[in-house]
Amino acid sequence: MKYLPLIWRNLGRNPLRSLLTAAAIALAIALVCILRTMPAGLDAVLASAAANTRISTHNEAGIVYSMPYAYLAKVRAVPGVVSAISWNWFGGAIDVTKGTEFPNFAVDPDGFAEVYADWGLDPKAFEDFRKYRDAALVGHTTLEKYRWKVGDVVTLQSTVFPVSLSFRIVGSIPTSTPSFYFQREYLAQALSAAGVPFDTTGMIWSRIDDPDRVAPVMRQIDEMFHNSEAITSTETEVSFVGNFFSGLRQLVTIIQIVAALVTLCIVFIAANTASMSIRERVGEIAILKAIGFRKQTIFSTLLAEAGLLALVAGIAGAATAWVLTKMLQHYASGGGPQLGPLTAFVVSNVILVQAIFIAFFIGILSGWVPALGASRRSVAQTLREVF
Amino acid sequence: MALPLSYSWRSLLARGSRTAFTVAVIALVVIATTLFWSLIGSLRRTLVSSGSPRNLVVMRKGATNDGSSQLSLDAYQAIRFFEGIAKDSEGNPLVSPELVVQPFFHTTSGARENVLVRGVDPVALLVHDEVKVREGRMIHPSSGEAVVGRVVAMRYQGASLGSLLRFGNADWRVVGILDSGGSSFESEVWVDPRELANNAKRPLPYSGFRIRVAPGADMDALARRIDDDPRWALEATREVDYYQQLTSSTRTLYIIVAGLAVLAGIGAMFGATNNMYAAVQARTSEIGTLRALGFSRAAILTAFLAESVMTAAFAFAIGAAISWLLAIAISAAMGGIGFASQTFTTNVVVLRVAPQDLLMPLALSLLIGIFGGLAPAAAAARLRPVDALRKA
Amino acid sequence: MIDLVNVSRLYHRGADEIHALERVSLHVERQRFVALMGPSGSGKSTLLNVLAGLDRPNSGEVTVAGQRLNEMSEDQLAEFRAHTVGFVFQFFNLIPVLSALENVELPLLLTRLGKSERRQRAETALRVVGLSDRADHRPRELSGGEQQRVAIARSIVTDAELIVADEPTGDLDAKNAEEILSLLQTLRRDFGKTVVIVTHDPRAEKWVDEVIHLDKGVLLEKRPGGAARGAAGAAG
Repeated sequence: MKYLPLIWRNLGRNPLRSLLTAAAIALAIALVCILRTMPAGLDAVLASAAANTRISTHNEAGIVYSMPYAYLAKVRAVPGVVSAISWNWFGGAIDVTKGTEFPNFAVDPDGFAEVYADWGLDPKAFEDFRKYRDAALVGHTTLEKYRWKVGDVVTLQSTVFPVSLSFRIVGSIPTSTPSFYFQREYLAQALSAAGVPFDTTGMIWSRIDDPDRVAPVMRQIDEMFHNSEAITSTETEVSFVGNFFSGLRQLVTIIQIVAALVTLCIVFIAANTASMSIRERVGEIAILKAIGFRKQTIFSTLLAEAGLLALVAGIAGAATAWVLTKMLQHYASGGGPQLGPLTAFVVSNVILVQAIFIAFFIGILSGWVPALGASRRSVAQTLREVF
Repeated sequence: MALPLSYSWRSLLARGSRTAFTVAVIALVVIATTLFWSLIGSLRRTLVSSGSPRNLVVMRKGATNDGSSQLSLDAYQAIRFFEGIAKDSEGNPLVSPELVVQPFFHTTSGARENVLVRGVDPVALLVHDEVKVREGRMIHPSSGEAVVGRVVAMRYQGASLGSLLRFGNADWRVVGILDSGGSSFESEVWVDPRELANNAKRPLPYSGFRIRVAPGADMDALARRIDDDPRWALEATREVDYYQQLTSSTRTLYIIVAGLAVLAGIGAMFGATNNMYAAVQARTSEIGTLRALGFSRAAILTAFLAESVMTAAFAFAIGAAISWLLAIAISAAMGGIGFASQTFTTNVVVLRVAPQDLLMPLALSLLIGIFGGLAPAAAAARLRPVDALRKA
Repeated sequence: MIDLVNVSRLYHRGADEIHALERVSLHVERQRFVALMGPSGSGKSTLLNVLAGLDRPNSGEVTVAGQRLNEMSEDQLAEFRAHTVGFVFQFFNLIPVLSALENVELPLLLTRLGKSERRQRAETALRVVGLSDRADHRPRELSGGEQQRVAIARSIVTDAELIVADEPTGDLDAKNAEEILSLLQTLRRDFGKTVVIVTHDPRAEKWVDEVIHLDKGVLLEKRPGGAARGAAGAAG
């Protein structure tokens, strides 16, 4: 556009002011981005869970209520169940005083690869997991957090069982799960040596062959155990995860309120600058109109000025958000049970692009009224007042 | 001589709309920061107010919380007669054996949350003396009854007084409501421990016990004796320390929120600086006149700095008031806010802005005022009277 | 060129009603250099605004360069001004963030000319006013007189027929004022423009063809200026 040089120069009229405004908007945008990554982290976990045919079976009363381990064989026999394994919460901690810092479970290695085929895990890792009694598969975020590598040996002390076990890491799970899995038999042997009985399980995860068969299979499983000692509740993985993190929904609402407040802030900052800089140029604008520039042209160039400044600020803010979330991932992620996936701090491209658009839109919005007012001022009146 | 404060104050009022913009920006930052800060503060207050300084928590060694510990009956029988333990009027030791289970509950809006259900004997009310039965009565043993904490009654289906509360695949009649002055016990449900053990198929009826230490007794000595007893692997902690430790996971949250507050604060500061520069520019001739009259550079600097700080302070007042109201509105709309604790149970926190929550936002506002106004105030002070008058 | 018939203009300042023009009729021939003079508040600036298409009268007819201005919409007036009128003001003439050359080029943005053509015309205009060597300077680097000359260059860059100037010498010293008035006269003499200025500078009289006196919104007298007399004198 041929007016672009004029618009750009006008921003350079008071470089300090333009810089301060852009910096303020950039920081606010960065803030909005970071805030939005929090619920996005939760949505991402839910989205990945929704995409598969895994279902969970647990005691209807709660996960801390166990089911007989014998249930696993019965679930495996249900038509439609391709493969099923069980989970037992180990509650292992690296440092007992700090407690459990990531979820860890004793699981059945046979069938594990089929149930979690969607992980994209190296088949050799699954093989090693079955082969070695003390093998462990660990989520990559946990590995990165503790700087563990495949091949390392780590020891976890259980906070629920009176045992401490050493594991050999054989695989890194590429998905966002922070969990740590090892063989059930390994735990069973240790407990047997300690004289503790072990014939229950906390959860059973099954893969169903056909998405359309999921609902009937879930019903069948629950009916099977309806009159047994432990009544079960079977649900899809996405439902389970959603329920698990349902408590976070309220926190997310507060986060969204805060993000909205910050966005409003941006409007005020941008509007203030726009009105200040336009007000100073009343005389000049009158001259432009005198020369023959039409209202619409004046209006759009003033508006473009506000929009351009906000756009540049938005880009800077998005870049800042990207850098900051990288830092947050490193230092603050895995914020414990309080926050769960909210602290994954994965800033997606969608969030960044949306932020830039929001900034531009806000620039236009905030410049609208001052630009309109300036474009409509009567030239003769202005000349009378100013001169 | 110094310029009177009224000069700064009147100058702010004269440029009403410009001042209003800055006030709006800073106030919004204050509200955002206060909401987050008081959210964490409310959670901390809930946890910190839990526990009595005269109590010990005894759990299996290595268990970090109630929910992951198991205790043998003979350990309980032996330890309750140790020296230094308080006794009731009949000479019975004030030791409360407890079982903790975390079943699913359903909120009135249909969400599923883990709730801490504690199996207790009547002595629990004596050991946890901050807990009072506010309405109704305490449970009778072996009667399928439950008493619920105040926020539990509000939050979950079937938890109100007189209702049938369903958890653990069984129905429990709610016979009383507990009040504990806002501590985490109000997020709990108390039932008979044997019924609970049966329901959850726990081999041992207890997961730990709480001891009331006799007045004047050496608490640490008693704790050490329990720790060192070779017969059982037990660990005794001061109850206040136990709950204090549960707040340690809020540290991450504090860091994140503090970081975000700093970001927001810097942004608001830039906005404030912009405004102050504009003010200085607009009043160049005025400043020249003041300097010509004999007011020193320091006087000008102070006057402009005062304007900036006043704006920020005013914005803080507005922001704090709005936050306080907003917190009440949010609490009313959302009920309590559930926080998952390390026991993976839900601590229901009522969002309130307490005076101590406002300290950080106040400091932030003042910093914005001071640093935001510093450079422009210095620029104003640097103006030579001659230049300033000529520009007019 | 310019025909005003019974033009009145009244406006409000706060609670007061100001009768800026009271039934003024005026006729200005092509290629004349005219000065509107009178005391402060006489309505001379308002009259200039009306004939330049900057302001619309409350009543009366305004015809300039064959176009009836009082019936035009705001956008039509803007277009009229863009093609037909060049402006020189006392203050705020130039955009401070643009160079002298870019300022002169400004009116050409309203045309369909390409970038290089715009450049060329602007350079030519600057040459006419003798400021080619200052093309890249920003207004704050130019003296008052130089700024006015740049404004004059801008006023002729679109080949406008009518040049209006409101107090063009108001802020200048004697030497610069003479230069500006001489330049304006050159526009009339060598470029065939019609030039109308508002001024209270008595020195302007000797440069213009016609002096029109106003007071309290009423046209008092019209008499020939120094240039007309000089020409007549030279002819006679």
